[in-house]
Amino acid sequence: MRQINLLKLLVIAASLLIVSPTFAKPGDVDRGKGIYDKRCTWCHGDEGDGTGAAEERLNPPPRDFTSGNYKIKTTAFDEMIPNDEDVFRMIRDGMPGTAMPGWSSLLSEQDMWDLVAYVKVFAEFEEAPEQQVDYGTPVASSPESIAQGKELFEDGDRCVECHGKTGKGSAIKRLKGDVSERTWPRNLTKPWTFRGSNDPKDIFTRISTGIAGTEMPSFADPKSKKMLSIKERWHVANYVASLAKTQKVVNAENTVIKADMLEGDLLPDSPDDERWEQTIPTTFLLVPQIIGEERFFKPSNDTITVRALYNDKAIAMLMEWDDRTKSIPGDERAEKIADKPIQEDGVAVQLPVEIPKKMQKPYFGMGDASRPVNIWHWKSGTKDTAETVAMINSRGFQDIEARDAAEVGLQAKGSYKDGTWRVVMVRPLTTADPENDLQFVEGRFIPVAFAAWDGSNNSEKGSRHTMTTWYWLLLKPSTGAMPIIMALVIAGLFAGALLWWARSAAGGRKPQADSKEGTA
Amino acid sequence: MTKKRRIPRLLQLVLVVLGIYLGFVLTFDVILGQVIPKSLLTMYMFFVIAGVLMVFTFTEESAQELIGPIKALVEDPSKKMVRNVVFVIVPLLAGVYTYASLMPSFEAPVELRTIHPAPPSSVKAFGKRFDLATLENPYRKFEKEDPDKFHKLVKQGGEIYIQNCQYCHGDRLDGKGPYAAGLNPTPLNFQDVGTIAQLQESFVFWRIATGGPGLPAEAAPWISSMPIWQDFLSEDEIWKVILFLYEYTGRQPRSWEHE
Repeated sequence: MRQINLLKLLVIAASLLIVSPTFAKPGDVDRGKGIYDKRCTWCHGDEGDGTGAAEERLNPPPRDFTSGNYKIKTTAFDEMIPNDEDVFRMIRDGMPGTAMPGWSSLLSEQDMWDLVAYVKVFAEFEEAPEQQVDYGTPVASSPESIAQGKELFEDGDRCVECHGKTGKGSAIKRLKGDVSERTWPRNLTKPWTFRGSNDPKDIFTRISTGIAGTEMPSFADPKSKKMLSIKERWHVANYVASLAKTQKVVNAENTVIKADMLEGDLLPDSPDDERWEQTIPTTFLLVPQIIGEERFFKPSNDTITVRALYNDKAIAMLMEWDDRTKSIPGDERAEKIADKPIQEDGVAVQLPVEIPKKMQKPYFGMGDASRPVNIWHWKSGTKDTAETVAMINSRGFQDIEARDAAEVGLQAKGSYKDGTWRVVMVRPLTTADPENDLQFVEGRFIPVAFAAWDGSNNSEKGSRHTMTTWYWLLLKPSTGAMPIIMALVIAGLFAGALLWWARSAAGGRKPQADSKEGTA
Repeated sequence: MTKKRRIPRLLQLVLVVLGIYLGFVLTFDVILGQVIPKSLLTMYMFFVIAGVLMVFTFTEESAQELIGPIKALVEDPSKKMVRNVVFVIVPLLAGVYTYASLMPSFEAPVELRTIHPAPPSSVKAFGKRFDLATLENPYRKFEKEDPDKFHKLVKQGGEIYIQNCQYCHGDRLDGKGPYAAGLNPTPLNFQDVGTIAQLQESFVFWRIATGGPGLPAEAAPWISSMPIWQDFLSEDEIWKVILFLYEYTGRQPRSWEHE
């Protein structure tokens, strides 16, 4: 009996440890200031007003603590003051998708509570908050709850107004933050960019409180025409959590785009070809071009997903990336939502002219003097001109040679739907000019890199773009029947040897037993 | 003879070999965080199995004890069921192993990385030559001579760092900036004792000023994303950033003098 009780106690203690909320501890304002001046001032500024040295080059900009706006809070929507635990959490875990890291690896828990105490001083938050978010009875996720959530999400344009029908935040409005900076509606299919996690409870909290300092409103506010009951908010939270698109998740281990061979068939030359569905997507992080002139600090594209297919004549690659805006210079609606001046959207594939024989690849920023690269550059076109694909050879930023894409046989076709660009590029495996063009060979690891431009975001053009480092493209050779034949032979040999052993052992003891099966 | 209840010799052997294998994995992969290359582990395990077999078959008696159960499995008519099962499983495993080892894996080629390439004796930057053996941080002396001035220089260095370097090396200087995961090789972690604490300031100056493209020929894998900072920062600014790197992490640069 005693033992059982002890066990129960242990289980309860353990579960408490796992789900235990962080209990606020009193922080020391003076100690907090010391830590703040060493760690935080660079972005948030000495006065806590978000005007640190990094201000101009960060998107989103550093929080201005004097405004008192906190994005992640669990106090009620009409309560300005956050809970200490909310501020603590942002310091401990950071804000995913921003430059704010989590500090638990460098600061002790007490350090972080001291920071909470000091940071609150900037907004003169002295009293404890009174109203908390009411979670009611949580509704667990289920197909029914998700279906209801979807309905509420779309009903009367409630969430669709900004987040779009697919949740990718494909903008139809220009949104602004509290320091009149441009903000984008969250792409709900990329949960790793949620500042406060995509746990349904966290999503419920965001829906209930809104996000201070942004145009995301509270849906618990009875004055809102779009108000939702607690139960309804749980349904929407469950639906939003269900939107995560796993194929867009970057897997650091996966650095190879594997192109399958299509025997005899024509390659898909359109992004909408169904055969792409059967290929394996590989997703890479896009980082802004911050290594060469002109450095670019405020990107909007963050990942690119690539697939490839080939046959005996050509290779086709499908590049897919979420872009909230279809940027068409000359189009009135596109111009209205874009940062001025609007540019075309675009994507580029970079390949070495020669597959490296050893390890050394061309410099990943457009090649180098002794190792040139091919670049295939697709642009979305303007109101009056169609999409284009250009082909260039380059030996670094400075040494760029325009080539004739048509002569090489390079074709491209793009389509934009629900906040996602999908662009197919097709090129023959070999060309007439092996000195200047990559000749694709199956079974070799070919370095490949990508770049993307969002023409509606800070006028991305030229060197203002996002890019990847080198990854690999592999034209998967067909392995034929060899492995399966060898496997059968080896298995047969083993079986034969074992049988022979057993039989000879048995034969030594009682010769008649096995005679009816014949002797070896 | 006392019949003690104990683990059969064969099982003992398997357990010992498995234990050593897990020991390797635990020590290197988990504790040290340095994954053993598969080929090396295969070699180690070859010697381990050879050694363990020698110990287990040291006397005639122990060898018999080891082989006994295997012989019994084949020869003992009462073990027919087990025998049939083993005779199906073993050839199957052999077949699957053959198939798996013949199928190409399509794993990305391994790229080795030279973390701290040997510096040249002198380097060219800002249109002049620097002798790395004698080059010193011109601001280092203020650490003792004029702490207030030193503090201001560190602060300026921090501002340059946050505007230029944090994207990759991070606010915490731990190599985990917002874009670090999209780069290969990954940015250096200055908090690690194996990085700037092992280097002289002149080395750090060289690596910053000439960046990835300034790496010497032996510095595999030649694809560092480190910009050529002499294109963006002045000499003074680089020295101030270096002060900040050491100050923030609480490390000391290596120097020729032993104090």
